Amino acid sequence: MPDFDLDSFKKTWQEQPVQPKYDSSEILQMLNRKSRNYVKYIFWISVAEFLFFSVLGLFYFFQGEESDSFRKILEKLGAQKAPEIETNFDHAYLAIKILSLLITAYFVLKFYQNYRKIKIEENLKDLIIRIMKFKKTVNAFILISIALLVAFTFVFTAFIFYVLNSQNVRPDNSNLIIVIIGIIVSTVLCVLLIWLYYRLVYGIIIRKLDKNLKQLKDIESQEN
Amino acid sequence: MQCFFKLRNYTVTYQQITALLLSSCHYISMTSREKEFAQLIKDNQGLIIKVSRLYTNSLEDEEDLFQEIVLQLWRSYDSFKGNSKISTWMYRVALNTAITLFRKKSKSLLTNELDINHRDFVEDDDEKQQQISLLYTVIKTLPNVERAIVMMYLDDLPYKDIAENLGITEVNARVKMNRLKKTLKEQMQKYA
Repeated sequence: MPDFDLDSFKKTWQEQPVQPKYDSSEILQMLNRKSRNYVKYIFWISVAEFLFFSVLGLFYFFQGEESDSFRKILEKLGAQKAPEIETNFDHAYLAIKILSLLITAYFVLKFYQNYRKIKIEENLKDLIIRIMKFKKTVNAFILISIALLVAFTFVFTAFIFYVLNSQNVRPDNSNLIIVIIGIIVSTVLCVLLIWLYYRLVYGIIIRKLDKNLKQLKDIESQEN
Repeated sequence: MQCFFKLRNYTVTYQQITALLLSSCHYISMTSREKEFAQLIKDNQGLIIKVSRLYTNSLEDEEDLFQEIVLQLWRSYDSFKGNSKISTWMYRVALNTAITLFRKKSKSLLTNELDINHRDFVEDDDEKQQQISLLYTVIKTLPNVERAIVMMYLDDLPYKDIAENLGITEVNARVKMNRLKKTLKEQMQKYA
């Protein structure tokens, strides 16, 4: 086809015999079928994540286990009971819990607002940007949750060292190393698992959106 | 035995009548809004079929995409009414669904495998059909956004509408289309 010209195909394209495949009743039936789309997929996974983190937050909120483990670790390291410091620790822990619940509530609201803003009849570029913004709400929530986890670990460790220091306790080296390594490994593992989960669950979707957005940006950069 | 067959026949007929009655009731219970929408889709399904065909590589995916587009059109039906032209609304929703929302069931095929097991080359007994099949094959070698530009161009949408549907400028759309014509020419020569 040496003299191919796309314009000469316009008529053929427009007149292509597209056989009507569905009648009205079949179309009406389609309205009751389930939608399979990425936004819905992100929505329900995010709802599950919010529920998971909120339930976890609430679970710890009504449990005093952390202060117990705080006391146990102090005992293991040879420190004596320090009711005042333990009360301070309880207060700090409660503050982190309340902060975490407030943050969750704020993000649930933002998440829903951004979801409602996704309109399929928008232009392609705005639609992609909106979906990405919607997903970013969840990402920000997860990042802040990780930051809170790290902050909590930091507060926990700081209190332990503060008690040991105030009581002039020099713990057994091996015990101290075990506690420090335990804290570091568990924190790193938690962060790694969360990161890996996000790469797996959202990797494909975000890559697809990114690819389309990049195509649009490439077109825009070709103006000159 | 005779009686049994009669009874069986009667039962089958009865079931058929029940099904017919049920579907009639279902149809009557449909609101006029739903009927109006179904009629609109029925009359304009060619556009949805073309988009579905252009963005999938199997008949199963094609049908799924068609349904997904219809669902998305239904969900945005209120916003369309009175706000824009039918064609603009349909193009946007159909292309947006195909490009960003749709989750394919079957794995995508490589470019050189395209259409070999699809109906594009089947039953192409006249030259026009062959040209259309070839056109689909060649357009499918392009990335998603470029496919949309070519399709709208072939359907004679003005550059202003093409640009607005994609969120780019009219100049960008024009420049891109000129380049795409050259790319398609090369691809056409390769495939022809």
